[in-house]
Amino acid sequence: MVRARGLVVLTVATLVAFACGGSTNGGSSNKGEIDIASDLPTSGADASSGLPTQYGAAFAVEQAGSVKGFTLKFIPFDDAVNGKHDPTKGTQNVQQMISNPKILGMVGPFNSGVAGAEIPVANQAPLAMISPSNTNECLTINFDYCQKYAGYTVSSLRPTGKNNYFRVAANDTFQGPAMADFAFDTLGLKTVAVWDDQEPFGLGVANNFAKEFQKKGGTVVARQGFDTSSKPDFHSWLNRAKAAGAQGIYAGATSASYGCIPRAQSQGIFDPNSYYLGPDGIGDGQCLKDSGSMANDHMYASQGVADAGSNSSAASTIAKYKAEHPNAADTAAYTFAAYDCAAILIDSIGRAIDANNGNMPSRQQVIDQIAKTSNFQGLTGTYTLNAAGDPTTPALQIQQNKSSGWTTIKNIAVNPGS
Amino acid sequence: MATAVQRLRGTFLPLSFNSGLNVIGILVVLVALFASTQRVIEGGGTYFFQTLGFGLAQGAIFALVALGYTMVYGIIELINFAHGDVFTLGAFFSLAIITSPLGALIGLTPSSSGAGVILPLLGLFVVTMLFCALVNIAIERVAYRPLRHAPRLAPLITAIGMSALLEGIMNVWKGPYNLAYPDFLPENQIPLGGGATIAAKSVFVIVIAVVLMVVLTLFINRSKLGKAMRATAQDRDAAQLMGIDINRTISATFFIGAALAGAGGIIYGLYYNSVQAFDGFQYGLYAFTAAVFGGIGNIPGAAIGGFVIGIVFAMSDGYFTTKWTIPLIFAILIFVLVFRPTGLLGMRVPEK
Repeated sequence: MVRARGLVVLTVATLVAFACGGSTNGGSSNKGEIDIASDLPTSGADASSGLPTQYGAAFAVEQAGSVKGFTLKFIPFDDAVNGKHDPTKGTQNVQQMISNPKILGMVGPFNSGVAGAEIPVANQAPLAMISPSNTNECLTINFDYCQKYAGYTVSSLRPTGKNNYFRVAANDTFQGPAMADFAFDTLGLKTVAVWDDQEPFGLGVANNFAKEFQKKGGTVVARQGFDTSSKPDFHSWLNRAKAAGAQGIYAGATSASYGCIPRAQSQGIFDPNSYYLGPDGIGDGQCLKDSGSMANDHMYASQGVADAGSNSSAASTIAKYKAEHPNAADTAAYTFAAYDCAAILIDSIGRAIDANNGNMPSRQQVIDQIAKTSNFQGLTGTYTLNAAGDPTTPALQIQQNKSSGWTTIKNIAVNPGS
Repeated sequence: MATAVQRLRGTFLPLSFNSGLNVIGILVVLVALFASTQRVIEGGGTYFFQTLGFGLAQGAIFALVALGYTMVYGIIELINFAHGDVFTLGAFFSLAIITSPLGALIGLTPSSSGAGVILPLLGLFVVTMLFCALVNIAIERVAYRPLRHAPRLAPLITAIGMSALLEGIMNVWKGPYNLAYPDFLPENQIPLGGGATIAAKSVFVIVIAVVLMVVLTLFINRSKLGKAMRATAQDRDAAQLMGIDINRTISATFFIGAALAGAGGIIYGLYYNSVQAFDGFQYGLYAFTAAVFGGIGNIPGAAIGGFVIGIVFAMSDGYFTTKWTIPLIFAILIFVLVFRPTGLLGMRVPEK
């Protein structure tokens, strides 16, 4: 009873606070403020990929400045705990966003595991989510293995039955196979050992790599999963992979789940000229540090978006970004994908304002407009979003570790219909 | 407290010391049987010995850390949860020396290699062991000694607190990233005959660990301070009546335990070439498990426990499903403890 009364008081107080906030804003000549949030892991080990992504989204908001008379503001959230992305923290962040009525959408999250926890919470608000880098296929598509491996399905993530989640990255049904094709056709590998980090992302991408590599005629050996809640000892497994004739290793993992630790530990077991392959999760600077003396040009990573550098119409925006962020570490694989996410969100908010006769749109109206995104000219590609929330023509790139760091060596366009 | 231990020994021990050896015997037979199965033949004897080598190396590090747990428990019946983090501190401190101008002064830089590193490395071991030992003495003085007569749970919680504190300090100091630890050890394989080989790295780790353990055992058994430690472990009050300085003896125990953990930290860095602020907690958990497995308070037991856990790790990763490795280790632990509640060598208590 006491608790119930407390809740009522709290609710009334919140309503009063919101009402006051609304009236003060209404007094200015400006129509008011619209906030765009981001939820990315921006501290600790994950920061090497999370921060450059946040900078991309922030830059898009800064470039736009305002939309249809509303001032835009960027509010970043950090979902890392002790340096590692954390689904619970992500969920708390989303709840904070929901409690701020000015936030009409969020860019993120970075990790599929975090998305799995956040989507149901955001779905009930509803709050629009658009991720630059989530690649787990089960977030948007139903497969019979989703409940078992990812722990969720499209419908379990969306309790209201309506979609509020979008992304620009190619899902893992593309990223794993793209690397498998590259390993078999371009690198000429016949036998590869595969491990995963027992997370939805790592497991999914590793399984999809293995399936395609075998379909091509290659052999997958020492297919194992490691508990990466703490740093595993990979020596025995690496020796097992070597004994089974592996010419290279595919890591279904990220740098935060020790993705490149086996590369360092393989010293003395594998030749330095053996191959080390992985998804976008290892395509960062931390991976190269973790690889120690085995960090070399026989390492390849796929990225779930195309390289913005190959798009000539993006050049001026990229140049402006780099002038503002001259540090090379501030630009990573998903920086411009995050820029595109924020830009799609702003574009959709603009259309939602029009649809609402120039007034502040509801969150549902924003979601409806994102779903109508068609032929949006972004830095990393031209995006049309389908009903599931996926881009209709996703693109990928393969990067190689060269002396200058991860370098795009191949852009791959995929046609989901095929 | 001493009486509590005796009660445990006296009433809950259905088996004799010989059966402790029997359990080890059964484990050896199991490993031998395992070695003769078809899956091993598939990989060949070479493969088996390589896997064993990796297991022994990992086990040697577990053993070094386990010794600190078992010595402290033996003498004041405290599970020193901060011990695993003192181990990480050893790796961090030595890494800081190597990457500082001080390292260049003694001839160790991240790019050093060859036989020239042996002497500086020895110096690094001494300095790091000393540093960790002093830190551990300070921890004992601040967080455990004032609580020596407090209820059991109080020092347990201060130990967990110290662990969190050390992790926090290291986290702030170097960040939560994986840090690259320089690779000074040779990469070649040493032939064992019959085509079998073992990594030189593994040999290095095992030899250093065994030497330190032998020195420790001799010290405990032969020296006056070692005798005082054994006496204090058996009956603190009686030892005090006999004129033994209890505080000094307990400090010495913390000193030695932490010195071994510090050495373990360097070995860990050299072997894995990467270290992270939170590594020690999990490693400490396995080391603590090893100590209980071998018989908490028993020094050879901790060493054997460490090696057994390391070998199970390697064999499981090398032959079975890696996902089952950790459950398997704890299943074996449950199996052993059900039949030997005091651990494998739990009877040989005087040696604590």
